[in-house]
Amino acid sequence: MKLFLNFRFFKIMKRFNWQKYAVISIQISLLYGLFLIGSLIQTWLGLFVPGSIIGMILLFLLLYIRIIPVKWISTGTELLLNHLPFLFIPVTVGIIQHLGLFGGHSIILIPIIMISTIIVMLVSGGISQAVAVRRERSQSE
Amino acid sequence: MNEFLTGILWITLTVASYVFSRKLYQRFPSPLLVPVFTSTFLLVLLLLIFNIEYETFMIGAGYIDKLLGPAIVALALPLYKQREMVKKYFASIGIGVLVGTITGLWSGFTLVSLLGFEPLIARSALPKSVTTPVAMEIARTVSGEPSLAVVFVMIAGIGGVMVGPFLMRGLKIDHFVGVGIGLGCASHAIGTSKALEFGEKAAAVSSIAMTLSAVCASILAPLMMTWLL
Repeated sequence: MKLFLNFRFFKIMKRFNWQKYAVISIQISLLYGLFLIGSLIQTWLGLFVPGSIIGMILLFLLLYIRIIPVKWISTGTELLLNHLPFLFIPVTVGIIQHLGLFGGHSIILIPIIMISTIIVMLVSGGISQAVAVRRERSQSE
Repeated sequence: MNEFLTGILWITLTVASYVFSRKLYQRFPSPLLVPVFTSTFLLVLLLLIFNIEYETFMIGAGYIDKLLGPAIVALALPLYKQREMVKKYFASIGIGVLVGTITGLWSGFTLVSLLGFEPLIARSALPKSVTTPVAMEIARTVSGEPSLAVVFVMIAGIGGVMVGPFLMRGLKIDHFVGVGIGLGCASHAIGTSKALEFGEKAAAVSSIAMTLSAVCASILAPLMMTWLL
């Protein structure tokens, strides 16, 4: 019985891929470091662009001039981007602080904001696609 | 210790609602069941039923929120991998973002004003298509209400990914440049997370659209307020 338990424990430990999780933690820490640097740059220079976006530009440049090789961040990036919607949940639940908006006459703001959002999506998507397709045609001729 | 347990509880519940929503979406891939909407809905319901403050929820969920910054940084990787494509389509991306940003700022403000809402609400609706921190900053600059702006940003994000892809398919906007620009310009980072479902190229275009439109909007919004008033 004891032997059986030990064996099972060993199997579970083996299935849990420690090495992979260690790699992911280190890679996410690296990304977090870049986010912090981005935030510092934002406060120092008093920019309106958020620290995360400055960090993104920074990482792009570091990849571009080959200071950071892709494999240093690829596993952690894959995990974060696969579950990006999950990371928005804390912010979106913040809607709860403005539930007054969802009662009474102001509820009409929701469809209005959605209509405006859809207009933006269709207009910007349509125009950029038209320009892109025209360019593809002129290149293939 | 109590706080620690509360934290663990809300992290677990947030993970559980996400896992459930994802499974549900895989089983019934309807645009009305996008995981970001279902999980938000479930958690809000839970907080309301048990009469729990948002601050209490954030004791745990705050740790998840901390990963959002590095995740946005991580969007540099699809961008880097697709750099040749971005170079090739730079003109169409630029035009799309500029038109999208102006349409977004103008249409939100005008529609809300036309329905007779007070100027404070209309000004807060101005930056709704821009990523949250920038939208708050813009709302402050044009003397709107930042916390209200965040709600509009969430509606634009969640609403956009719920109905946008369906309408784009109907109107034959199916090129990765069109899809990426549309999602990134209208629904910011939530749109970009949706664009990842369309592939790496659409995601790269969408992250550029989101970034550029945030920059454009913060320059254009104050200018626009002087024209519109």
